[in-house]
Amino acid sequence: MTISSDPKQVTQICFDRINIPNQNKLSVARENGAYEFLPTVLNDFDSAKIINEVKTSGIRGRGGAGFPTGLKWSFVPRNTGKPTYLLCNADEGEPGTFKDRDIMRFDPHLLIEGMIMAGFALDVRDAYIYIRGEFLHEANVLNEAIAEAYAANLLGENILGSGYSMNLTVHRGAGAYVCGEETALIESLEGKPGRPRFKPPFPAVEGFYRCPTVVNNVETLATVPAILKFGGEWHASIGIPNNTGCKIFSVSGHVNKPGNYEVPMGTSLKTLIEDYCGGLQHGSVPKVIIPGGSSTPWLTAEHYDTPLTYDDLMKAGSFLGSGAIIVMDETADLVALTRRLAHFYAHESCGQCTPCREGTGWLERVMKRVEGGKGCAGDVTVLKDASEHMAGRTICALAEGAAAPVLSLLKHFPEDVQTRLAESSK
Amino acid sequence: MTQLFINDQEVDVTPGTSILEACRQNDVDVPYFCYHPELSVAANCRMCLVEVEGWGKPAASCCTPVSEGMKVKTQSETLAKDREMMMEYLLIHHPLDCPVCDQGGSCKLQDYTVEHGASKGRYSEPKRAVINYELGPFVNTCMTRCIHCTRCVRFADEVAGTGDIGVLNRSDHMTIAGIVEGALSSELSGNLPDICPVGALLDKPSHDVSRPWEMTSHSSTCIQCPNGCDISIESRGDQVMRIVPVDGSPEPWICDRGRYVYDAFRSDNRILSPMVRQDGALQSVDWSDAFDRTIDLLKDKKVGILFSSQWSVEGHVAISLMRDALFPDAKVAFDLHRRDMRPFAFEEGLAMTTSQIEAADQVVILGSDLRQRLPLLMQRLRKRGRAGKPVSRIGAMNYRTNMEIGRDALIRPRDWHGVIARAMEQVSELGKTAAGFDAWLGAVSDRHEAGKILADALISDSCALLVGEEIRSHEDAASLIHGVDLLMRACGHAEAGNDGRNLIPEGVNAQVLSAVFADARVSAGDIFAAASAGELDALILIGSDPVGDGLFPSAAKAALQKVPLVQIGSISGEMADYADVQLPAAAYSEIEGTFVNMEGRVRVATNPIKSLGQERPLWKVMMRLIQVMGAEVPVVSLDELRSAVCQHLSALSDAWCVSNQDSALIAPNRNRDAAALPKARTDSFELDVVSRYSMYREGMWARASALLTEAGELNALDDVLVHPDTLAAKGLSAGELVVKSFLGEQCFNIGVREDVTPGVLFIAKRGVAGDLSDVTAASIDGGAV
Ligand SMILES: Cc1cc2nc3c(=O)[nH]c(=O)nc-3n(C[C@H](O)[C@H](O)[C@H](O)COP(=O)(O)O)c2cc1C
Ligand code: SF4
Ligand code: SF4
Ligand code: SF4
Ligand code: FES
Repeated sequence: MTISSDPKQVTQICFDRINIPNQNKLSVARENGAYEFLPTVLNDFDSAKIINEVKTSGIRGRGGAGFPTGLKWSFVPRNTGKPTYLLCNADEGEPGTFKDRDIMRFDPHLLIEGMIMAGFALDVRDAYIYIRGEFLHEANVLNEAIAEAYAANLLGENILGSGYSMNLTVHRGAGAYVCGEETALIESLEGKPGRPRFKPPFPAVEGFYRCPTVVNNVETLATVPAILKFGGEWHASIGIPNNTGCKIFSVSGHVNKPGNYEVPMGTSLKTLIEDYCGGLQHGSVPKVIIPGGSSTPWLTAEHYDTPLTYDDLMKAGSFLGSGAIIVMDETADLVALTRRLAHFYAHESCGQCTPCREGTGWLERVMKRVEGGKGCAGDVTVLKDASEHMAGRTICALAEGAAAPVLSLLKHFPEDVQTRLAESSK
Repeated sequence: MTQLFINDQEVDVTPGTSILEACRQNDVDVPYFCYHPELSVAANCRMCLVEVEGWGKPAASCCTPVSEGMKVKTQSETLAKDREMMMEYLLIHHPLDCPVCDQGGSCKLQDYTVEHGASKGRYSEPKRAVINYELGPFVNTCMTRCIHCTRCVRFADEVAGTGDIGVLNRSDHMTIAGIVEGALSSELSGNLPDICPVGALLDKPSHDVSRPWEMTSHSSTCIQCPNGCDISIESRGDQVMRIVPVDGSPEPWICDRGRYVYDAFRSDNRILSPMVRQDGALQSVDWSDAFDRTIDLLKDKKVGILFSSQWSVEGHVAISLMRDALFPDAKVAFDLHRRDMRPFAFEEGLAMTTSQIEAADQVVILGSDLRQRLPLLMQRLRKRGRAGKPVSRIGAMNYRTNMEIGRDALIRPRDWHGVIARAMEQVSELGKTAAGFDAWLGAVSDRHEAGKILADALISDSCALLVGEEIRSHEDAASLIHGVDLLMRACGHAEAGNDGRNLIPEGVNAQVLSAVFADARVSAGDIFAAASAGELDALILIGSDPVGDGLFPSAAKAALQKVPLVQIGSISGEMADYADVQLPAAAYSEIEGTFVNMEGRVRVATNPIKSLGQERPLWKVMMRLIQVMGAEVPVVSLDELRSAVCQHLSALSDAWCVSNQDSALIAPNRNRDAAALPKARTDSFELDVVSRYSMYREGMWARASALLTEAGELNALDDVLVHPDTLAAKGLSAGELVVKSFLGEQCFNIGVREDVTPGVLFIAKRGVAGDLSDVTAASIDGGAV
């Protein structure tokens, strides 16, 4: 592994072995170091040490919320008499995000190893991977890898003679975006409709079947083997304080080389786009950058230099989210873009909360009208009011995500909307 | 206690309380739709937002627990805007058809729109259309008005236990739907319109009939089962339009029987004027003509008096005064469901409150169809079940309960002795015994394994037995109850403060009746036998229908063919065919009166005295009868009557004089010396007969109600049921079969069901198979001839 914080000498954690052919096969993965360190962890580490290393590493959840993983693990109550569950969130539904998919299809054993280690730390007997329904191929790859792991006693009873036992099961979702929200995921895994639960109680205390449960993103869990092998300090030294390690960015939109790029945290947006993604298709600065998946507020050209960290993006008015960077250059029709996103959220709202159920549909219909040249002056206030009062007033963050594009459009590009409205009044 | 500040006011609440509940406890108004104190939290309407200092965004108060030192604000400019927006979101698809909506005037959506909403909505896009669906005879749906608060879904899951309402689809296609097409199979379905905060679910029978502001309401007590729920009777003019539960009473719900019986008040079945039989038909006459005929029939005659337990305490005491004044030797019967009149070790009535039963370590139902009999107690048991507390049951049928019964045993009525004996042996082994154990055990040779369920439950610290009709109506009830009493004493569940001996009574006022009519009481069957044997000259029937109800229809018919009948009551029922005179007495919706429920809870109904016809409160009819028969009238006012009552039951004086009614619980009778030993059976019939109580059909009131009758038809079972093995043993199959009993041979349409005990003939529909109710043993002999 290359250890360097120079973006040119790419340090990679999750993607370190991504290009090795047949890395999804256990024999190949093992030749390349998979499960090498696992016996040491199972025999010489204990729960406290693992959680401590993960805390020291500074890793924050890669699924969207960026919650410190070590801290999350330490919240899990022990000796409750109930089982503790580990759920891997592989729902990857956030528009623009396609990173977990690569880990799962090219290096599934990395995820499995991470889950065994996390499971061991949390005293988990049964772990699940909740995978996006559309990822049929990935689910097949994972299932084959899991079968191989069971056959090699890397899963199941008494793993490698360590006395620790864990089962791992893949569960396919049915295509609902909201099931990526951790409590909806839990409901869905329990066999119920995927509707988020209100919190508290948090899943760490009452999750899957009301038992203590840890939900982590694929990328988060796939980072665990490296953290334990090289140490928390090592991970903490990559990136910048409070924003440590590497992050996979799924870059899409008007760039010449869209794709997944794993870079150390703190690499700037501009570096990523120009040095890695082959630059913009048109012009020298982007018109809009959605930095963390479609649910995050938009950034504009003025933030082109922002370092890609949780903190810097927040300072810039957005979020790192899932690391899905959608780049729009000057050719983009932002009203159409917003309308399309509004459609997505209106379709995906689970329908529980008043503002989200009614607001998402309302926004879509108004945006459709505006885009179709039938808007009126009052629409701007309606769009603003209807989205502002969705955000932060609902059970889950979907509503906030639904409001973000509309609010961003109105904030940064009022003239684009006005032009459409002007066309309407002709 | 957790201390927090609500609008700068310091308040203390129990840790874990939600902000909304903390506000409600301290009379701070927070608007809400989805929250309901009796249901789990859903937190979906988002109307209950408040501000918490230091939090970046408003919090839904219903699902946010309080924390120490929290500073909550319920009013602010931004909250006002939030509430305005919530109303706007909710209204974008709402039809705004308040003028034609029954909910109008008592609708949260309407009220909050006025209070929090903007004057005008800004939604100009198409509105969604929603399909209505069928929710049974009592609930009307208009789903375009639904605000998706899921109260109804939670009610069906958590209270009714039927789970037959659900949520379909997502986003603004989300709809509430009856998962089970057709009838909502709950005896509590009438509560749905009450909990729906809008006009999506409405009361079907009163749909499009009246508006909330046209009605006057008064509080009363439901007499349709011994639970005696507090009810509010809503009427327009002198017509009862609805019956609804009362806020703040022990139960927030009422059952469909108690609610929809109201159409009986104005049914053709009412007796609204004095009637006498002339030329074979009943003719309306004035009071004095009716009394003349009554005098002819009763003066200096030997009479039997049969009355219903559904009258008020004042009515019952007036009956007793009438008997003392006119027929001091007459036998009275008020229970159509008791064969064994020996005193019971513990008499009818509950020793515990329903809350105590809900909280007991163990609850065992002994021979009762509790969901039909006591739907609200059943609902409490369901609540207890959800909290993980066990309920077990022994009985002749796996009666539907809508809950998980922990341990269940099917037995025949003749097995009860063996069940109790088996339990006695088990507890004896643990050194638990009571004086009389050995004598009782020695008289029983059988042992039934179901006794283990009973004994296991008895070992716990607190155990509530719910002794039901299968034991109460048993021919050897006194010995069974003695046996159970011994068990309870042996296990320490018969002491003051920890008395688990609950004998479910047939109706309200059971404790008062056993005190007032202690020695005069006989079995209804005895009165009919005496009449048939020529020992009586006439029968006085006060609000009872022994042909339609109870265990003695054949005996009653035989008796009524023999002697004249003076019928006094509110409902005529099947008795109209037999009555020579009918005197109208006021219905329970029309009187002031006192009722004691099965827990001993006293309720004084404050109905304004009003009447549809010439009916008078029963006590006045009784006093008039005394007067016209030439005796001295003992009381002339309700107050005097109540003083007479206090002689029997001083506990009642508290209820009448002290306002604190809830504290005065009237305890059921205990007869320590009632030591009846088991009797062996002598007949040779191989089947035991058990008859079903249907909440939609039992009692004159229910049968006079078209609404309940309709529901009864939807919920009907085959007339007579047996376990398939019972027929297989005889090489028979379901259909028309001959049943042999002491009444002779009769033909019945017999169906099969797995959930009936083999060896039991279960009479599911008394009206049809009514004549079999007299019977406790029978055999099936073969196909119809
Ligand atoms: C609407 C919505 C969708 C989400 N979808 C995903 C997802 O597809 N994958 C994911 O890992 N996290 C998703 N999340 C975030 C999860 O709720 C949760 O924070 C995450 O799985 C925690 O894992 P981490 O701590 O490892 O990031 C979503 C959140 C919301 C509100
Ligand atoms: S915010 Fe939207 S998606 Fe999330 S729980 Fe509420 S209605 Fe469902
Ligand atoms: S039908 Fe009524 S109770 Fe049920 S979800 Fe709709 S508004 Fe709520
Ligand atoms: S439970 Fe009994 S008392 Fe209550 S409403 Fe129903 S019938 Fe009346
Ligand atoms: S009452 Fe709190 S969200 Fe409905």
